[in-house]
Amino acid sequence: MVVYSLYILNKAAGLIYQRDFNEGLKRLSSNDYLVLSGTFHAVYAIASQISPVPSSSGIEVLETETFRLQCFQTLTGTKFLLISEPRQQNTDAILRRIYELYADYVIKNPFYQIEMPVRCELFDRHLATYIRGIP
Amino acid sequence: MLQNRSSYPPQQSAVAPSLASSSEKSIPTSLTPSTLRTVATPRKVTIYDRNLNRRAPELSLAAFAFLFNEIVQYSQKNVKGIQEMETKLSEYGYHVGQRVLELTVIREIKSAKRETRVLGLLQFINTGIWKSIFGKPADALEKSKDQEDEYMIIDNDPIVNKYISVPREMSQLNCAAFQAGIVEAVMDGCQFPARVTAHSVPTDLFPLKTVFLVKLDPVVVERERYMR
Amino acid sequence: MSFYLAIIGTKDNAVYDLEFGTYRQGGDGRPKFSADMKQLCPFIVHSSLDIVEEMQWNTNVMHLKVIDKFYNYLISSYMTAGNIKFLLLHETRADDVIRQFFVDLYDLYVKALMSPFYSVDQPITSAVFDQRVKMLAKKYL
Repeated sequence: MVVYSLYILNKAAGLIYQRDFNEGLKRLSSNDYLVLSGTFHAVYAIASQISPVPSSSGIEVLETETFRLQCFQTLTGTKFLLISEPRQQNTDAILRRIYELYADYVIKNPFYQIEMPVRCELFDRHLATYIRGIP
Repeated sequence: MLQNRSSYPPQQSAVAPSLASSSEKSIPTSLTPSTLRTVATPRKVTIYDRNLNRRAPELSLAAFAFLFNEIVQYSQKNVKGIQEMETKLSEYGYHVGQRVLELTVIREIKSAKRETRVLGLLQFINTGIWKSIFGKPADALEKSKDQEDEYMIIDNDPIVNKYISVPREMSQLNCAAFQAGIVEAVMDGCQFPARVTAHSVPTDLFPLKTVFLVKLDPVVVERERYMR
Repeated sequence: MSFYLAIIGTKDNAVYDLEFGTYRQGGDGRPKFSADMKQLCPFIVHSSLDIVEEMQWNTNVMHLKVIDKFYNYLISSYMTAGNIKFLLLHETRADDVIRQFFVDLYDLYVKALMSPFYSVDQPITSAVFDQRVKMLAKKYL
């Protein structure tokens, strides 16, 4: 089973982190990535508005024949999107763990400015190690 | 150590209620000890009432990380370059080191001995000081092959750097300069003046590996030679 | 019996000093130095710093015991790891009791040092510290 890629969106729908974990994935132009994250952000918001159940969250899982998208929104509005194979198990737990890594190696880094694109070597390193170890 | 500090200053909070309660009577012209004693609040526990030997429970690493975060950001203000920023970090560490030295000695060394030789002191820093602050000894202590007055304390994974990724444009910076300041203070405190600097030596296995270079003052080298 | 205690910083600067008397043998805790002696105390104690400096590299103990004499007075010294000197001027030899006094004083000094508003070599002005030193004096001397 395979985890394809990770997106991190800040609360203003800006894409602050994008990484593919598998070779051979089609790369989009950087502009397309921004459009994609902006669109998802909007759809997520609409979904929570039109849901018949009061105070429901937005889209958490999106399943297709070729991939599965899992979304996790933190209390501060940051969204983590994980794209994996449809059969991938425990994607919510994986996202939690990624959130922990983000809290450690991004938020606790004095050189990171909040809401700005993530450029933290240690986060990249630990993320790669973790993803590689997922069964 | 951080916990002990929170009890200070001892008298400030005792002053505030005394002012409030005395508003019905006449306002005291000066806060003499007797006006303080009339306050019904229980006597404030000062730092002198606490036991130095009682080890504080381990502190939260996250809390420390956020505090250190602010220290690094603060030291980044009003500096012209990386060198100056490291100097500032080292100064902050120096203040910690001065206190850690006495505290560690009083806690760990029951025999009331002072270190009078360079090697003994470095070993004490390498194990005693490191353990009391970071909970583990440093990974190695080496003598420079080329320079007689240089020693190296090696930490494969310095705790202060655990969450820090230095941006590429500042690649010379090593925030463990703070730790170097601690070492410098201990050396100075024991009358072994030295210049201590932190250098990153990343390896594949230990990307944060840091070497603390201890360059002894000529006075110390001279004294060592004499004592030998 | 009368005592004079001085804490000397790393740059041979005065950090704290106190004159006191014994409570033993019906003493009232007040120093009974003559007017001349009162003025001389700081000088005697500071002049023995040279001896401390000579001794400090020859031995690795903290308690240097009696290091100097001035007529009927003896001077005992204790050195902390951070090179702070405790000097006590006293009249009779009592190494063990004085050692205990110094060890407890060291404890107090480290507590004073833990305050973020105090740094090495500054004079100690805390009233609580003063009071605790007097308690120690009463307990041991």
